[in-house]
Amino acid sequence: MTPTLAGRWQTRLLLYLVVGLPVTLLYSLYLDFEGDGFYDPFVFLTTLLMVGLLLDPVYNYIQRFRWDNDWPFAFFVFFTFIEFLITLGLLNAGVLDPFLTYRIENDTALVHFSWVLFFSFVSVLAFIQVFFIRWRFKGGELGRL
Amino acid sequence: MSIEFTWYQKEAPDGPSRQTLLLDGPGPFTIGRGSTCDIVLADTTVSRLHARVTLSGEDIEIADADTPNGTRLEGNEITKTVWPRRAKVEIGAYVIEARRPEAEGSRTTVAIPPTEGAFPPPEFDQELVSVSALKSMGLVSAEVDFLTLGGGIGSFVWVDHLRVFGVDAKNIRAIGVDPAPYGKYERLCRYSQIPVHERLRSNSISTPDNVWGFPGYASRETWRELRKGNVGGLKYVFQVFGEPALSESYTPRAGDVFQSMDKEARRIGWDQIWMPGRVMRVRKTGDGRYAVAYRVPADLAGSGPRNRVAIAKYLHVAMGYPASRYLDDLQEFKRRHPSSHRVINAYEHHDAIYDDLEASGGIVLVRGRGIVASRILQRLHEARARNKNIHVLHVMRRPIVEGKKYDLARRFAAHDIEYQPFNWPKACWGGTLRERLERADPDERLRLLGVWGGTTTADRSDWDAIITEGKREGWYRPFFGEVDHLELKDGKIVSQLASTQGFREEVRLEADYIIDCTGLIAELDANPVLADLIDTYKLARNKASGRGPEQRLSGLKVTNDFEIEGLRNGSGRAYAAGVMALNGPYAAVDSFLGLQYAALRSVDDLSAHRAPGVGGMGPIYSLMQWMKWCRGEAP
Repeated sequence: MTPTLAGRWQTRLLLYLVVGLPVTLLYSLYLDFEGDGFYDPFVFLTTLLMVGLLLDPVYNYIQRFRWDNDWPFAFFVFFTFIEFLITLGLLNAGVLDPFLTYRIENDTALVHFSWVLFFSFVSVLAFIQVFFIRWRFKGGELGRL
Repeated sequence: MSIEFTWYQKEAPDGPSRQTLLLDGPGPFTIGRGSTCDIVLADTTVSRLHARVTLSGEDIEIADADTPNGTRLEGNEITKTVWPRRAKVEIGAYVIEARRPEAEGSRTTVAIPPTEGAFPPPEFDQELVSVSALKSMGLVSAEVDFLTLGGGIGSFVWVDHLRVFGVDAKNIRAIGVDPAPYGKYERLCRYSQIPVHERLRSNSISTPDNVWGFPGYASRETWRELRKGNVGGLKYVFQVFGEPALSESYTPRAGDVFQSMDKEARRIGWDQIWMPGRVMRVRKTGDGRYAVAYRVPADLAGSGPRNRVAIAKYLHVAMGYPASRYLDDLQEFKRRHPSSHRVINAYEHHDAIYDDLEASGGIVLVRGRGIVASRILQRLHEARARNKNIHVLHVMRRPIVEGKKYDLARRFAAHDIEYQPFNWPKACWGGTLRERLERADPDERLRLLGVWGGTTTADRSDWDAIITEGKREGWYRPFFGEVDHLELKDGKIVSQLASTQGFREEVRLEADYIIDCTGLIAELDANPVLADLIDTYKLARNKASGRGPEQRLSGLKVTNDFEIEGLRNGSGRAYAAGVMALNGPYAAVDSFLGLQYAALRSVDDLSAHRAPGVGGMGPIYSLMQWMKWCRGEAP
């Protein structure tokens, strides 16, 4: 991948909407939370999104040290995991408590994250190109060239 | 009966290359680059056998041997014609004159103007040609919306996009000499020692058979291996996962790419689209279209006429590298020793050198440090497995201590060679660097291209091991300097080098063979069709870079959509792709992915201007087309 900053943001939002939200919905239904707890995984996912959006400029800076100005898939997976750990830290520090009905358990969060990461990664590898033919030439941005 | 031939270089009629030769008999006499020809012309744009000359009664006749670059008599392309006295024949960089000594004096020969059989017709001397005039001459063989010139991979990728965007095959034509779109590319690979099982310097998602880049060649290769029960095939997808940080970049096998293109060619109906022919001249027409005069090779013309004209509303020019070209000092050497086969360009057929080396050993001098040089060194290393008495001198212009720097990054360098996985940094294809270049002004573009490009090779561990081993065992030695001149002495080729290592020393290197690996030169003017087009319509060129041979390297000025604005004709539009657009808004024009990018940009532009049949490419339509691709159905 050779993302631009706008491309990182746009792809992240796209993945949040078309991959993250549906996966979270299924996961929430599967967990079968009672009452308000249904929305807790969505809070977690949205926090993960915001951590990512804030880190994207940092990634973009790191990328400038790379001669190819690229972002290997391995980096994508590794840094997404870092984002997860930061989100988990915020969760355990109680920062998200005002938005949550119940504080999410670490293992629940890990399983949720793993599913989201898996489908996001497959999308980045494959499916986004199939729908958006210009995406790969625009550093991950959507729209026309 | 005899003919006296005189030939010389166009630029220097009285230069050292001027020669005269009297040949007896009725002929046929042969002209070409091959050493068995009667008249040997040392110029890579000249074919091995280029033309035949015969005496027919009182007349001298000349026939072109169906060559890619053609033969011109007084400026007109000829196939077979009478060669009037004093008329000049041009072949490559040479001019040839012929006369019959015994016929002169006894009678006066009247020069016959070579209009008879001349093609293209005089109509093509004008800037605007009349379609009805061409039709009345019975020349028009095809009238379509879309026409691409070249018929190589650039043409193929453009046609593929048009087809996927919704255009019917009957509205598209491609003119080229090779039935397979990768024909010329495959030849250049083979000559430069990349047989079909070797890997190209191209990425997994650079897929000339698939407009989406998915599935890439890595996943296809993995899939094939898994189906054979070989779990080791997973390494290709892991390579893509880690590249280029954790693993060497994945590159596809040449043969796999060619096979995939064969399959796509069948899917999009390429055999219906491709028309065999060599483009002779291109003109705007009076009704807002383009007329292309072309000549069908004799063996493919059937019973039909060989000289034809195709008319189209939208034109695409993807004619590729005009020719391989020797460095100036090598060219000078070839001129003085036209029969020597021991100085060769790596892009020319030269397998015999390896056979000789394996049989009797020798010293090979390799010039240049790019990807071709790497591959040639690999081939020489293979030859050494059969004969240890092979030594390699590697001459490069100057040593490289550290890689180039751009922004916060520095390119990796070792063994006096700069490394990057592909010929440009990856982000040039579709990232920050692509954006940067597109927005830059011409001067800034040149500067950026100079930093990002240059001669580099891929950081392959096997190549690194070869050089390390060669240095350790003493059979490989690098030298740095500007080659002053070459001479043949006691059966050895002696290169005189002025060192560039800070000393004023002179180095003399003796070798049995010289392999020029400095690559292809994109000299557009060397293609007579382009030269004529540039001249007729005063087409703007991109800024030229560098010194020396690089000055001749500058593409046609194109818009960000790859349109050649100077060729716009009413609502008719012309686009360029590949090396035609060098030094323009996009760096990596001469790569598979670059051709895909250029095709996408120009077809998107056609769609925006409502060219007939070109739809949009929204997400749902794209998905449907992709599924057709997967099923192998016509678009």
